[in-house]
Amino acid sequence: MTDGRPPMRPTRDPRVTLDDLVEVLLNKGAVLHLDLIVAVADIPLIGVSIRAAIAGMETMLEYGMMRDWDEATRAWAERSAVRRAIDLRDGEGVVCRMSGGHLLTEGIYTGWRPGTVYLTDQRLVVLRDEPREILWQTELGAVRAVRLEPERTVGGEERLRLRLALTDGREERLSAREPGKLRDLLTDACAGRLDGAFLFAPTPEEETLAEGHLWYHEPRRGGPLWRGGQGRLTADTLTWKSPVDARPALVLSRADITGLRRLDERGPAGTGGVLALETTARGEVRLAADDPEAWAAWLTPGRPVAVTG
Amino acid sequence: MTEQTALYVYALVRHRPGAADGVTGLDDRPLRLVPVPGTDVAALVHDASPKPFEGADDQVRRWVEQQSRAVTTVWERTGGVLPMTFNVLVADEEPAQDPAGGGRRAEQRLTDWLTGRAAEITERLDALTGRCELRVEITVDRTAVTARETRTDPRAAQLAGRSAGMRRLLARQQEQDVRNAAGQLADTLHAEARHRLLSVAEDFRDRGRAHRAPDETDVLSAALLVRKEDIDTVGTVLSELRARHPAVRIRFLGPWPPYSFTEDGLGMRERDGTAEAVGGGTRPHPPGV
Repeated sequence: MTDGRPPMRPTRDPRVTLDDLVEVLLNKGAVLHLDLIVAVADIPLIGVSIRAAIAGMETMLEYGMMRDWDEATRAWAERSAVRRAIDLRDGEGVVCRMSGGHLLTEGIYTGWRPGTVYLTDQRLVVLRDEPREILWQTELGAVRAVRLEPERTVGGEERLRLRLALTDGREERLSAREPGKLRDLLTDACAGRLDGAFLFAPTPEEETLAEGHLWYHEPRRGGPLWRGGQGRLTADTLTWKSPVDARPALVLSRADITGLRRLDERGPAGTGGVLALETTARGEVRLAADDPEAWAAWLTPGRPVAVTG
Repeated sequence: MTEQTALYVYALVRHRPGAADGVTGLDDRPLRLVPVPGTDVAALVHDASPKPFEGADDQVRRWVEQQSRAVTTVWERTGGVLPMTFNVLVADEEPAQDPAGGGRRAEQRLTDWLTGRAAEITERLDALTGRCELRVEITVDRTAVTARETRTDPRAAQLAGRSAGMRRLLARQQEQDVRNAAGQLADTLHAEARHRLLSVAEDFRDRGRAHRAPDETDVLSAALLVRKEDIDTVGTVLSELRARHPAVRIRFLGPWPPYSFTEDGLGMRERDGTAEAVGGGTRPHPPGV
């Protein structure tokens, strides 16, 4: 397992670790009973940590901590209480509104920012509800093309997103509760101005041959745990991802799968649903499926890569 | 003495008389141990006014560093610790709450409350003794993800005769390709690193990152509860990962008191991370399934 390389040593140098310590000390560590704790203006102090935990580190960094952060929180609350609707220009009318979001890909973070999508007869706007802020907007005249595009969510589901091409060359992605309706209304609102087709190719993704709920018997120091998640099979790879993990816990090259057995033991999906894969990279890997016959067929080594219905 | 007093609580520890000697906390205040009668538990505190510590970010950072240093020192002297979050202050009881007049002092309230929970606190201290928290953050440096791993020719973006809009479009496409290649590498690295770290760590929590770099793709960010003697095993896993993949960047922090693993002790925090995990094959299944 080791090749004689010296182990990395962890560092405690505060110049390196202070941001992490701030995050962990404000978010983690034990707390005492709320009744015992000093309150500031009727807000128990622990509220600072809990709100920080909910908001996450990005928000804390974005708005500063403690005093600064609390002032920002107060300001948000005041603003959002006053008005939640979009500020319309003179003569501007709302065509439709639905919950949705904008994918921010600039700067230090990439991530969906949820809010409400407003299509007006002049603009397409994504508004954060609270604190109220325009997350992203474009004039309809700057929209060059619109397309629906499937995207796999963190939980492994497939959702339709709206991909927009703008006249300045930028591309944006929006989510919407009814993406098809938004696309249609947006196309109508931009009548005659849109390109017939996108000029650029969609981002290629390896074709999914099979996909569905799978249990993975994840090995741990204290003994393996059955965890529920999403299995996905392409021509080359089997991946398994839990909805609570950031990335897959299992990425197996299909060439590494040398054998497959159906076990007669009880698993989370009932008796007979457990599959044991022999692999060169991981030794035996156990999976359980609600539909073990199908997965066994797909995962059998040497099977042609093209899975047909 | 009628003025209001309070205790700023740093941690609950095994009571070892003298363990707080010479240790200072926020603004260099001297710390002391408040033993909980009839138990082996003590609270590490400083005497404070019942006012929270509030200040600008830099001031809060200094306080956090001081708190962390104090808790670490006493942790190393006592072996087991349940560290508190920032600004845990116990004040005297409001006189109005006690019809007999003159509510309990802060120290009495704290020890009363801890006495009632001594069993669970002791159990958690036992479970954490000899363990530390390590923080592991693994990323992929996208500038080190080679062109070979991406789909498009970077020169396409420079081609003469393209309009500015088209050049920008192609540049974005190129950037997207690098992101995709880095994302695929990150998936593979995550599966491998998680697998190996889970074989060493006694507990594992996915954590958000405090440190971000614009050209890096996140692979794994976790707090690990590790026996102190296993720190080098984690270090070996990480050094091997780094040696095999030139684009891998690793931050390895600690050993810290187990800040991320205290919530079971006092039952106030939600567990995060792997809460959905089903027991290791022993979980009873509903009849007929």
